[in-house]
Amino acid sequence: MTRRFLSHEKFAALVAALLASNTRVIAPVRAKDDPAQFDYLPIQKFRDAEFGARLPRRSAKEYFLPATEVLLHYKQTKAGVEIREVPTEAPPQVILGATPCDVAGLEVVDKVMGWDYCDELWFGRRQATTIVSFLCNMMDATCFCTAVGLAPDSFRGSDVLLVPVAGGYLAHVITSKGEALLQGYVVEADAAALADAEAAQNEARQAVEHHLPAIPAEFPGWLAANFDNPVWKTIALRCHGCGACAAVCPTCHCFDIVDEHESVDSGVRRRNWDSCQTSLFTLHASGHNPRQSQSERFRQRIQHKFSIYPSRFGEILCTGCGRCSRSCPGGMDLPKLLGELMTLANPGPEARNP
Amino acid sequence: MSELNDLARKLLSECTVKVVIGYEEGSRGVRPAFITDPEQACKLVFDTRCVQNLAAYLNPRRKQITQLGKPAIVVKGCDARAVAGLIREQQITREGVVIIAMRCGGVLQRSETASELTSDTVSVRCAGCNDRDPKLFDHKLGELPPEPPVNPHRDEQIATLEKMTSAERWNFWTGELSRCIRCHACREACPMCFCVQCTADKTQPRWIDPSSTPPANRAWQTMRVLHQAGRCVDCLECERACPEHIPLGLLARHVANTMQRRFDYVASEDPSVAAPFGVFRPSDDEEFIR
Repeated sequence: MTRRFLSHEKFAALVAALLASNTRVIAPVRAKDDPAQFDYLPIQKFRDAEFGARLPRRSAKEYFLPATEVLLHYKQTKAGVEIREVPTEAPPQVILGATPCDVAGLEVVDKVMGWDYCDELWFGRRQATTIVSFLCNMMDATCFCTAVGLAPDSFRGSDVLLVPVAGGYLAHVITSKGEALLQGYVVEADAAALADAEAAQNEARQAVEHHLPAIPAEFPGWLAANFDNPVWKTIALRCHGCGACAAVCPTCHCFDIVDEHESVDSGVRRRNWDSCQTSLFTLHASGHNPRQSQSERFRQRIQHKFSIYPSRFGEILCTGCGRCSRSCPGGMDLPKLLGELMTLANPGPEARNP
Repeated sequence: MSELNDLARKLLSECTVKVVIGYEEGSRGVRPAFITDPEQACKLVFDTRCVQNLAAYLNPRRKQITQLGKPAIVVKGCDARAVAGLIREQQITREGVVIIAMRCGGVLQRSETASELTSDTVSVRCAGCNDRDPKLFDHKLGELPPEPPVNPHRDEQIATLEKMTSAERWNFWTGELSRCIRCHACREACPMCFCVQCTADKTQPRWIDPSSTPPANRAWQTMRVLHQAGRCVDCLECERACPEHIPLGLLARHVANTMQRRFDYVASEDPSVAAPFGVFRPSDDEEFIR
């Protein structure tokens, strides 16, 4: 890990060089349908991107796990079924200006993608991607990255983290991939740039820390032991079960695999994003559904993220980006709910000794 | 607002209802509230931020809510159209719900941005609203506020779309629907999408492919909007829920306009008036059957 200075001019030159070399560059772009909002989109020129303005509406996971993708093509012939798999190597891409919460999510999901089977498509794209994240200064009341062990300046999953300072950026060069990317564009960082960056990072951390206290190590165990706690009956009354939360989440990774015919004798096998918030997710062929109501489905969302995944992989399946709360048409508020559950799990001294 | 809080408290403490479904302060504007304790009735609020249509929570298949017992629901006139729809289509009974209707002076586009109602901030669905003074209610509260400014944005967009050639319109919708990820959030948030099994979820036979591809996305959204013909109450919950921000309300409004023109029908607050799909009239135009 080294710290370097990247001037605004060199940054623009770097992006121009990447685009000229036909590397796909993905960055925050102002949304056409709503100029106050941003999306991660491939850019054609440096000026298409706007950094540090607002957290993009969706996470960057679609560039690693698209909402739908073809796994193989099949064709029925007289001799049998011909199968043609899709290539698992991905063309090079650079994600620019991602938030540390989005980037950390990729590393969290790596655990399950490489667990009992190595997901070649996921890791193909992971390897082909260089990630330049930005210090986040875009937090609102729904952000809680510091509660899940991250921070607005977290290095996790990034190859480079840029912190805006006078005249450009302080570049935290985290990996060799990041070093290769910045080669020739960065110079020695002076003391002023280092001090500026440190102040900005401290300020950003302080801006989010008070939203939710750190989730205690005992919390996953409490959730597991409280599967039948009556709290689940009332916690999700306002949840519509629409699954918009899963669509925008940087760590929700469940998918469904389907075969779709494209002609009488040929078709494709695809995988599509899925969400545990819909009743179809657990509907058995018999017609029985073990998760009968939204209470059970929302409990699953919380249990998977804050108990099941941590017990299996040692990681909370949430980066505190707050998108689920922001996108929820029913006004569900995850940091608030987590706060309530944490209070139930660990009542204050007054509640314990009334 | 004490009128609403007092009524909710009374309904709960006298056990007329077990839950009052209304609005409370949330971290991002107001959010749906489920008040079961008379002491909590003071939490209820009603103002221009109450954009949500709460009628979806009356769906009898929302077991986590039906288990609470008989509900009272806070509605605006537009939301009352959805409650009427649920009664008309025999999902709930009129006696099974206490309707607290609020006289309405329009709502914002978004609950989280509290501001004055202007032609930019007011919801497009408030333009030309005839239900500001609700007609379906057990209790009607508040004074009728003045008419809100008109947000012409959607009508302008529909006019533009209707002027397009069919090829241009096809391109417009193919572009918008290419973003659809087939999460079906639009369906889940819709008060009038209450089918036990949606056609899109059927696998034997599979009517619509579940993957996000242009033909399947078109098939899904076309099916949904046609299934809503004469039923959609124009609450825009579909558009609010869509994580891809597809202007689904444009499609729905276009179909509603067609229903009005062809069948002289507007989804109303009167549950006794059958929707066009529910009646046979020899006078209906059938020029499309040749």
